[in-house]
Amino acid sequence: MKNRYLVFFLFLMFSLVSQKSDAQEVQSTDEIQKLKQEIEHLKNESETYKPGKSNFLLRGYAHSGLQITDEEFSFVGGSFNPLFIYKQSDRLLFESEWELELTGGEVELAIEYANMSYLLSKNLTFRAGKILVPFGIFVPNLHPAWIHKFSAAPLGAGHDGIIPTNDIGLELRGGSYLGDFKVNYSFYAVNGSQLNDGEENPEEAGILHHAIFPDNNKGKTIGSRIGFFPFSDSSLELGFSGMYGKVGAKETEMEDITALHYAFDFSYVKTLSSLSSVLDLKGQFSAVNVDDANYPFHENPDDLITFDNNSSTWFAQASLRPALAENNFVRSLEFAGRYSTLKTPEGSEWETDQTQIDLGINYWIDWRTVFKMSYRISNGAADEHDEEPDGHGGAEGNAFFFHWAIGF
Amino acid sequence: MKKIPIIIFLFTLLVMIAIISSCRSTSSLAEAKSGAQLWGENCLRCHNSPSPESFSDEAWDVAVMHMRIRANLTEPEAVKIAKFLKTAN
Repeated sequence: MKNRYLVFFLFLMFSLVSQKSDAQEVQSTDEIQKLKQEIEHLKNESETYKPGKSNFLLRGYAHSGLQITDEEFSFVGGSFNPLFIYKQSDRLLFESEWELELTGGEVELAIEYANMSYLLSKNLTFRAGKILVPFGIFVPNLHPAWIHKFSAAPLGAGHDGIIPTNDIGLELRGGSYLGDFKVNYSFYAVNGSQLNDGEENPEEAGILHHAIFPDNNKGKTIGSRIGFFPFSDSSLELGFSGMYGKVGAKETEMEDITALHYAFDFSYVKTLSSLSSVLDLKGQFSAVNVDDANYPFHENPDDLITFDNNSSTWFAQASLRPALAENNFVRSLEFAGRYSTLKTPEGSEWETDQTQIDLGINYWIDWRTVFKMSYRISNGAADEHDEEPDGHGGAEGNAFFFHWAIGF
Repeated sequence: MKKIPIIIFLFTLLVMIAIISSCRSTSSLAEAKSGAQLWGENCLRCHNSPSPESFSDEAWDVAVMHMRIRANLTEPEAVKIAKFLKTAN
C-alpha cells in the first residue's frame, strides 16, 4: 500500500514539474517572439531616420564685448551671424550667412552672402549669387569674429573700407595640384563697386561704395585670385588678387570711369615643436586706383575739384599659441599683434593717413570659443572714411577691447 | 590706366591656365597624406582645427562640403578629411 502511495506521489510531482516546464517554454517562446517583433519595429523605425542625400546644417557665430576709449566705456558689438547650409546633393549646396547686429538700439539685418554652389569636377566649383568677393584673405577667410585674432578688423577691411566685401555675380573656384605644387584659384564677374559722384554728398565725392544693388551701369567687374603653396605641408600661401571694372553711373559724365583693385597676401601657419606653439603670420596689401574725374567742391558745388584717386591699405599680424604646452591654461592662451595702415587720396574730402597697432591676449575655451583682450594704439588723421565704430573697424584714438566670440 | 586691361588680361589668362590645367586633383605627395594630416594642415590655415567629436556624421558631410568650397579643397582631400572626422563617432 505504501508503494502505491509513493508511486502516486511521484507521478503527481512529475506531472507538476512537467507542466511547469511546458509553461516556462511557452513563456520563453512568447518573449522571444515579442523581442523579434520589437527588433523588427525598431528596424523599420530606424529606416525612417536614415539620412538622405539632402541635409541641412545651421552654423554661425556670435560676439560682443566691452570697448573703452577716452570718450566712452560701453558694451558694444552685439552681433549674431547664423550660417544656413543646405546640401541638396553630393554636388549642389546652398549657403547663406546673415548678420543681425545691434546698432543704435536697433537691430540691423544684413545678408553677408547667399549663393548656390555646384561642384563641376574634383577641383572646380561654380557659384552664383551673393558671394564674399575673393579678394585677398581677410574678407573671404578671416572676417568671422571667432576666427580673426582681434576684436575689430584691420584698417581698410571693414564694411566701409576700401577692400571689396561682398557682391552679386558668378564665380568659378577650386584647387588643384601642378605636380606636388598646390594652387587655388577663383575667377568671377560681379556688379562691382559704385563711384560716389558727389552730387548728393560732395564730402564723399570719389569714394567707392561696395555691395550696393542694383548695379549703376551695364559693365560688369571681373576679378580673380590665385594662391600658391610653395611648401609641401601647405604652411605658406602666397596670393595675388585683381579686380577691374566700370564704377561710374550710366548716362552720366562718369560713365566711363573705371577702377582697378589689386592685392597681395600671404599666410604662414607652422607648428613650432621647439616652442610647443603654433605660429600664425598673415598679411595683405591692397590698393585701388580710380580714373581721374572732376567732382563738386563741398563748400561750393559749382566749383570742381580733382585729385589722384588712389588708396591703399595693408596689415600684417602675428600670433603665437602654445597649443602643445602641457599646462591646460597655458595651452589655451594666444598672444597676438597687428599693424595696419590706411591711406586715402590726398586732396580729397575724405583724405586720411592712419596707422593702428593692436596688441592682444586671447584665451580659448575650446576650438571655437574665445575671449579676446586687446589694446589699440591709433595714429594719424581720422575723418569721414573711418571704419565703423565697433566690430568692423574700431574706435578713434587709443582703445581697450574685451570681446568674446563663439563659433557654432 | 591704359596698361590695366593688359594686366587684367594676363592675370585672367594665368588663372584660366591654372583652371584648365587643373585636371589633376592630387599629387603623389597629397595622396600620401592621411586625413588627419590634411585636417591639421588645411583647417589650421584659417582657424583652430575642429574637434572630430563636434558633429554627427551627417553634419560633417555638410560642413566638409561647405569647407571644400570655401577653402578650395580638392575632392580627394575633402573625402579624406571627412572620413577622418567621422572616426570619432
